[in-house]
Parts: sequence; C-alpha cells; structure tokens
Amino acid sequence: MRVLLVWSSPFPEKTIAVAMRRCYSTKPIEDIEAELEQKGPEYWKYLLVKALQDKSLDVLEHFVLTLAVEGAAEADVGPLVRAFPYLRATQLRPSDWLMTLNARTLVELWKDLRGKTFAEMVVSELSQRGVCPIFNQLAFGVNTDAS
Amino acid sequence: MRVKLLYHTDIDAIKRVLAQKGVGFDPEAMMDHVFYMFEIEDCSRVTTHQLVRHRAVSYDQESQRFSAATKEGVVTPPSVRSNEIGYTAYDGALKAVYSAYEDMVAAGVPKEDARYILPSAIKTKLVMTLNARSLMHLVWQRTALQAQWEIRELATTLRSLAQGATPELWTKIIER
Repeated sequence: MRVLLVWSSPFPEKTIAVAMRRCYSTKPIEDIEAELEQKGPEYWKYLLVKALQDKSLDVLEHFVLTLAVEGAAEADVGPLVRAFPYLRATQLRPSDWLMTLNARTLVELWKDLRGKTFAEMVVSELSQRGVCPIFNQLAFGVNTDAS
Repeated sequence: MRVKLLYHTDIDAIKRVLAQKGVGFDPEAMMDHVFYMFEIEDCSRVTTHQLVRHRAVSYDQESQRFSAATKEGVVTPPSVRSNEIGYTAYDGALKAVYSAYEDMVAAGVPKEDARYILPSAIKTKLVMTLNARSLMHLVWQRTALQAQWEIRELATTLRSLAQGATPELWTKIIER
C-alpha cells in the first residue's frame, strides 16, 4: 500500500490553535489570528501540547487531509471506514482510493491496532512533505528540526 | 451575524489526482472530500443549538465558563423588536437577568455557575469544519421556509460562501 498527500488544511498547527483560542476568547477571528501570528509557532506548540495532554482532541478535527491511497483492497479499507466514521473513502479503481480524514481520526487510527499501519504511512508521508512538523513531533514522536 | 470562510479544499488538487487515475470528476462522490472551515460570529445560542444538531461536523464554540457576558451581546428577533409590548417585556427580562448575573459574579459566584441564568438570545462565536455533503444537507434543511429566520440567514450565507469558493461542485449538485 502507498499513501500520497493530495491536499491538507493550510497552516495546520495554527488552525488547531485558532480552534483552541476560539473556545476561550471573546475576540473576533481576525484578532485571534493576529495574536497567534504575533506569538508564533512556540505558542501554537504550547496550545497543541495542552490539547493532547488534556485529550481535547476536538480541536484537531479542523486539520483535514485528503490522500491518494494505492494498492489497497476493499478488505483493507472497509473495516477502517466502518470503525472510523470521520474517515471517508471513494474507490477510484479496484485498488486505488481517495481518502479524507481529520487529524483527530489520524491520532485515533495511530492508537488502534486496526489503523496503526495505515496511520504510520500517513504520518511518514506528512513528515516527508514537511506538512505539520510540530504536530507530527508532538502527536507521533517524529523527530524534526521544528522541535 | 458575521460568517467568514477560513479555508476550503483545493478542488484542483483532487482533480489532478483523478486525471492521473483516468477517473472523471463526480460531484456526488467528491462531496465527502471537499471541506470548509467557517468562523461564525454574533449569532444567538438559540441558533447554535439548532446548528450543532447537524452531523458530521466539527465545532469549537466560545465558552461562557470564563468570559463575562454583557447585555449588549444579545440577538433581538425582528418580531420582538417590532412589537412594542413584546419588546418592553424582552428588554425588561434581559435587564433583570444581566443584573442578577453581574450581582452573582460580583459576589464571587464563578462565571461558569452564574451563566446558568443567561438567556439563549446571547451572542456567540464558533468555528465549524465540515464537508460538502454535511453542508449541503444543512443548507437544504435550514434554508427551507419552515426553518427559523436566524439559522435560515446563516445557512444562506454558508451556501453563498461555499458556492463562491467551489462553484463547480455546488452548481453541478444544484443542477441535478
């Protein structure tokens, strides 16, 4: 099986931070975004650590990934889609799929025996593309220069 | 009420993959893969209670546990505003509620407990992420004439923003 990233939410760590700050701020979105921009990636990392420690994984749902998955049989994909309702799959050809999931589902797949192998391939692809280095390091222990 | 589209899926990226695989663009199938993240500000909690009934959607909403509420931050329905007796009753009740809220907070009651008295009319802010399938269902239900005026306004705006960002997907679906 091969996993290729097609598209992901822009600025994933900042997007997760926006969702976190939305819960605790009365300010308009532009002010929250300006605050996050001014405080920078160290602050986004602080918020993400807090979300993961508190298991407030809802904020991860705003980071969305679309993947092209090659060489996967229906027997591989079916059980995952049934077990993880936020994972959506469309069969393009007999063993080729378009799959979309959010980062919370990715974390849940990573922790589940049924999804671990698939999640590892997704994380590896994200890591190689440098998409969300802080998230990969904090959620999955991927070594990165962004640490 | 103010609604802002924060991001949406790049449909062209999906189309490139489909082309590589020799597969046509089927709007019905792609509804699961095209996502939108919205910021919604200054609608009432009445409306967000209706909104959060929709699945499968990710919401993160301004908490009342730690932020202070003010009487200015409420939505007044047009039918109340245009009814002299109704508006007098509405305004009087809000003044009484907010006075009690402020008295409780001043007396040391935690905001998270004082908020139990706050009205559903209070304005709120939230972020919402959902795919086109969930959004189209929401729009279909909440732009209907039976829907209440505020969520109808919200659903109409959501549809307008989504259609503006990804016209091909919405036009093809609406044409069917």
